[in-house]
Amino acid sequence: MNEKRPLLEIQDIYTQFFTESGVVEALDGVSFDVTAGEPVGIVGESGCGKTVTGHSILRILPKNGKTVKGKIIYKGINLLDLAHNQMRSIRGKEIAMIFQDPMTSLNPIFRVDDQMTEVISLHRKVNKKEALGIAIEMLESVGISDAEKRIHDYPHQFSGGMRQRILIARALALQPSLLIADEPTTALDVTIQAQVLEIIKEMQKKLGLAMMLITHNLGVVAEITKRVHIFYGGRVVESGPTEDVFINPQHPYTRALFDSIPSLEKDKTRLDTIPGNVPRLINPPKGCRFHPRCKYATEICSRERPEDVWLGPKRRVACHHYEELDLDVDEETMRERVKIKEEV
Amino acid sequence: MASSVFEEYETIDLFASWDSKRQPVVQLNNLKKWFPVSQQSLLFSKVVANIKAVDGVQLFVNKGETLGLVGESGCGKSTTARVTVKLEEPTEGSVYFKGVDIFQPMKKEEELVIKRQLQMVFQDPYSSLNPRKMVLDIIKEPYDIHFPDMLYEEKESRVLEILAKVGLEDYHALRYPHEFSGGQRQRIGIARALAIHPEVVLLDEPVSALDVSVQAQILNLLHDLQKELNLTFMFIAHDLSVIKHVSDRVAVMYLGKIMELSPTGELFRKTAHPYTVSLLSAIPRPDPRIKMDRILLEGDVPSPIDPPPGCPFNPRCWKAQEICSKKTPTLDEIRPGHYCACFFPEI
Repeated sequence: MNEKRPLLEIQDIYTQFFTESGVVEALDGVSFDVTAGEPVGIVGESGCGKTVTGHSILRILPKNGKTVKGKIIYKGINLLDLAHNQMRSIRGKEIAMIFQDPMTSLNPIFRVDDQMTEVISLHRKVNKKEALGIAIEMLESVGISDAEKRIHDYPHQFSGGMRQRILIARALALQPSLLIADEPTTALDVTIQAQVLEIIKEMQKKLGLAMMLITHNLGVVAEITKRVHIFYGGRVVESGPTEDVFINPQHPYTRALFDSIPSLEKDKTRLDTIPGNVPRLINPPKGCRFHPRCKYATEICSRERPEDVWLGPKRRVACHHYEELDLDVDEETMRERVKIKEEV
Repeated sequence: MASSVFEEYETIDLFASWDSKRQPVVQLNNLKKWFPVSQQSLLFSKVVANIKAVDGVQLFVNKGETLGLVGESGCGKSTTARVTVKLEEPTEGSVYFKGVDIFQPMKKEEELVIKRQLQMVFQDPYSSLNPRKMVLDIIKEPYDIHFPDMLYEEKESRVLEILAKVGLEDYHALRYPHEFSGGQRQRIGIARALAIHPEVVLLDEPVSALDVSVQAQILNLLHDLQKELNLTFMFIAHDLSVIKHVSDRVAVMYLGKIMELSPTGELFRKTAHPYTVSLLSAIPRPDPRIKMDRILLEGDVPSPIDPPPGCPFNPRCWKAQEICSKKTPTLDEIRPGHYCACFFPEI
């Protein structure tokens, strides 16, 4: 493998679902890459294609879904070309995934030790006893106290936060190179979320893991990731280093998204809103998919799909009018941005 | 009376003794709601334990304000709300609405008057609307219940009026819930609650099922409606940034008890209770420049079946001392308007 090549390259993929009411264009030309050891955030609202991206990579789409075009290159191999049994050796071993709902991701009728050792002995050449040892060790490392005893419990005997830790432990037991975490803390309370985020951060650093963190929570992304891709309507509208995207958003959608969340730091009586709703992806809007809700939209936006504009080596935005956005920025924000640019 | 629109229909004046300037609209006195856990033996079932969902809540809501009620799942926020609107009977304690104890024995008509003025908006816009009814019928139902004598035409015109207020169009009235998006459904739920001009609206996580861009629309709508209709809100949420945005005062709940109650600004600037401190520090901020000194709590929220003795927060609290597991702290006023139930509040 070429050292300089990213671990995972997603090149212009189109994933579609064939339903009775029409073709859902869930992913419409998505490209990005993940470098080894790098935590990357995938952000967007419901139905923007962030989860479908994860499922497309692992090829676990439902029967009516298919990635019809594009390449997903992992360590130099196009995953879309692999046979089913080859794909099975990638899942879990190379690319692991943890899902949103810790209540349903564990089988309620098997004890945790069965569910963990099954995965470990399937992919690693160890006997049962060794597998159990690895499992206990992993549980300890994610902060489950008394792991030796508790591993023999059933999932319902654990709380939500503990179950999510078990899932993290199970995913990491196979030493994958890439972890896809789909809304790992959304179902948890804030104080428990803080605990789990701490563990994710720690494990990511310790194992030098590449991670794709899929979430709608901008706070979680800011905390964990170094790079972020903003999704809207099945496309990447903006990407770049997290700090830069958060402080200096270039796409009207990203800007509006930040303005519409209530902040703990600022006082405001009215929030800025984005009119309308998230688009449905059967017959999505033509041209730029954000144009019906965008205040900068002109005629060209409804006609032509905006191309990616590269603003830096890892910074891009897909908008016809991104240059006009800066005209509306107030002085204070501008000053702050200049300061950040100098620091960088 | 506040709801002059319905004057001709209202025959009873229950709240004659109420002084809106001095007395709170809603007052909860040592409210308890326990759910029995029973075990079935051969013939009889016997109560073996109680889930103490709400365990001595002391709270008041003033007219025209928004009281935010915040806490983690299972802390009893929703149960508190359900008791307040008389959907559940309390195990102990009382709820006063405009000076009237709503659980005292009363006539059917009197109860209807109280229930009309206490309305609720539910969390899940997908399951709180009957899928087999048109929007018109959904919003008309409160009129059918509370004003059976009202003419059909009047009901209909009132429905259209309230639909316009929440930002929906006339033709939406003849559609079914499944034809709407989550945000629109929540607007319908709000319209239904406001149709009969309540005094107090309990909003139980009204925006937590919505996307952020839609959430902002609903928060703004609620803000405008409150101004226009002079409503009092009790706003339940688990998201502290939403709570901070909407509330005038905030109550923090933990294991069925109020831990801290304070004007919003003061709660965030001069946080007193260790639990609130840790809750605030746990929120991931959407700004990479902010580096938080996070207080990580140990373990999970204990079970409300067997809450720890003394202060319910003591097993997870970093300030806990011997007294905390022996005596339950009372909700004391530590500064004017700022209440805190802790032996060692942060100053």
